[in-house]
Amino acid sequence: MMKTLKGFLSKGQTSWNMILIGLLVLEFVIFGAANGKFLRPALLFTSINDNLPVFMISLFVTLVMVTGGIDIQVASLVGLTSITIGVGWQDFGLPIWGAVGVAFVLVVACGALSGFLIAYCRVQAMVVTLGGSFLYSGLALLISTLSKTESYQGIGGFPEDFKFVSNFQLFGVIPFQLLIYILMLVIAFILLHKTKYGRRITLVGVNQSAAEFSGINSRAVIMSTYMLTAVSAVIAGVVLTAYLGTAKSDLGADLTMDIITAVVLGGTLSTGGKGSIVGTALASFVIAFLRFGLPLCFKVSPQYLDIPVGVLLVVVIVARSAASGTNIGAFLKSLLSSSSKAKA
Amino acid sequence: MDLVKRLLKARGLSSLAFLIALFIIVGAMNPAFLTPATIAACFNTSVVYTLVAVGVAFTLFIGEIDVSVGSNLGLVAVVVGSMLRDGTPLPVACLVGILIGVAIGLVNAWGVAVMKAPSLIFTLGTNGVLRGIVYVYTNGQWVENLPKEFKDFSAVTGIGDFTVYYCAVIALVILIHFALIQTRRGRWFAAVGDNANGATLVGIPALQTKILAYVICGVMAAIGGIIFCSRIGFVTPMSGNGYEMKAIAACVLGGVSLLGGVGSVLGAAVGSVIMASISYLLVFMGFSSNYDNAITGVILIVIVVVDALLQHRSIVQNRHARLNARVSPKATSEVLAEQIADFGEAAMSPLGKKGGVR
Repeated sequence: MMKTLKGFLSKGQTSWNMILIGLLVLEFVIFGAANGKFLRPALLFTSINDNLPVFMISLFVTLVMVTGGIDIQVASLVGLTSITIGVGWQDFGLPIWGAVGVAFVLVVACGALSGFLIAYCRVQAMVVTLGGSFLYSGLALLISTLSKTESYQGIGGFPEDFKFVSNFQLFGVIPFQLLIYILMLVIAFILLHKTKYGRRITLVGVNQSAAEFSGINSRAVIMSTYMLTAVSAVIAGVVLTAYLGTAKSDLGADLTMDIITAVVLGGTLSTGGKGSIVGTALASFVIAFLRFGLPLCFKVSPQYLDIPVGVLLVVVIVARSAASGTNIGAFLKSLLSSSSKAKA
Repeated sequence: MDLVKRLLKARGLSSLAFLIALFIIVGAMNPAFLTPATIAACFNTSVVYTLVAVGVAFTLFIGEIDVSVGSNLGLVAVVVGSMLRDGTPLPVACLVGILIGVAIGLVNAWGVAVMKAPSLIFTLGTNGVLRGIVYVYTNGQWVENLPKEFKDFSAVTGIGDFTVYYCAVIALVILIHFALIQTRRGRWFAAVGDNANGATLVGIPALQTKILAYVICGVMAAIGGIIFCSRIGFVTPMSGNGYEMKAIAACVLGGVSLLGGVGSVLGAAVGSVIMASISYLLVFMGFSSNYDNAITGVILIVIVVVDALLQHRSIVQNRHARLNARVSPKATSEVLAEQIADFGEAAMSPLGKKGGVR
């Protein structure tokens, strides 16, 4: 039993996706049995809408992690997008889509700056995006002070053709923002799995020197992945602003953990070289329904939801490492030997 | 020129120079800043950051990372805070807090060192779990009404205007620094971080060293949590949230490399003072605290980029020197002697600069 499980875990992405689908089915069965409301399409779409920014961004963070990098600034870019749209529209009198354009240029420039520092100055991705998360959330706060509205209130009252993004529903059920997500999903899938560009990203993640010697401009490839996550942050920021109806500088600030969890749970190696868009998408759905189902069906307070998500992440990451050797016995043994050494 | 080179290589020292320059600039803009009390306040506010950053520095030395320290601090703070509120004697509460830190350190060590899970992701997971436990424990309520003597003790000054806490912590940090560079065991951390397989081959118990690093990190965060209680006087369920990022930033500012094996705890302590006093300095410079994050980000990015470019240059220079030595008519031993004279101690010391290649 243990052995087959081990073999299953260490096998390729296909069987991993099957596990994720199994988890999804399990969630539907358990939550559906506990509370029939969970299966209502309207409620399901609400839960998806609540989590769409995570869904969208995690797709493109997958690309970054396949190159061997990491992006922890992207959540601050969501807030930067939102507040730029709000301030540009309300206080600078730009047309709403003009403000979106300004936000797009600004945020993609931010992504390009971080990407440039990582790819061309050879600074670790973790450090640059950590600095970026301070810098861009600070920038968002500064932009919010340009507005005459107090920053904690948020800028609201957007015109109808902007709210359209969140209000319109195809056939009266499928939210328009979900269609945007599906489009992004298809694009990300084709980019990573079906194009030369995707092969280049993967090779850069496996071995950057080898990629460089086979004529790939590895630095440009790395930089481009950070710009792509910035683009996804802009889209997520627009959708979130339209959905909530307010523009704030700290929108999405707490998304980082969910995004990384989704990408890692989806089977992407944090060391780079291997990743799956389908896995990321499935994993983000698993997390979203977990966060939605537990409060609805078992009256778990939303504040406690970090526990199941964290446990899921920890268990998955340990199970995958365990599938490739080592065990708890070694740990206990080493503890014993170190304590006996300390005594001696 | 040689002296400048040396100084650039000792990153802990250059961050101290940066801190002094920062103080002088702020003092020039607003002379009111240059009183012993205000300068001491910059150091005193950094006490919790210093503890957490020194703990994180241990995990960075071994080439891993710990982002669960924020929630670790929060959990210890709410547990110790609520115990003190309910009349538990201080030593018992502190002991429980430190044991919690040890337990969290062991869990992280198990995941990272034994199960070989990627440290950033594993500790991100434990961070979430611990934060959830804080909410379960406190039921979302604040912990208030801590004993007055416990709160007041945070303001007691030891040497000059420095609080007893800061004096004790900085003494601890200096002690740790010398333990790290003077003892055999202390060198193990950097050795494991520099090259774990190599360290194992020369007989260093890499696994135990990694476990010890995580336990130290957990304990430092726990002590930070206890002092947090005393300094702030109340504990919210969100206490310590974001400290992990600030601690990592402080380490990076202080010259600790995320690649492992490079840096010193003194550097991390100096970095913490920079991180903690930025918002304080901005007030004296006449900026609003809204600039806080943006300026922190700029300083962090500029420092790491300059550092990376300098490192890259020295790698290229070393390579040229090596290649030239191969074709030069001089005997290899002479060239080697020259190189040792040039790069000397920095090249030989295990805590010196390491060439970081992406």
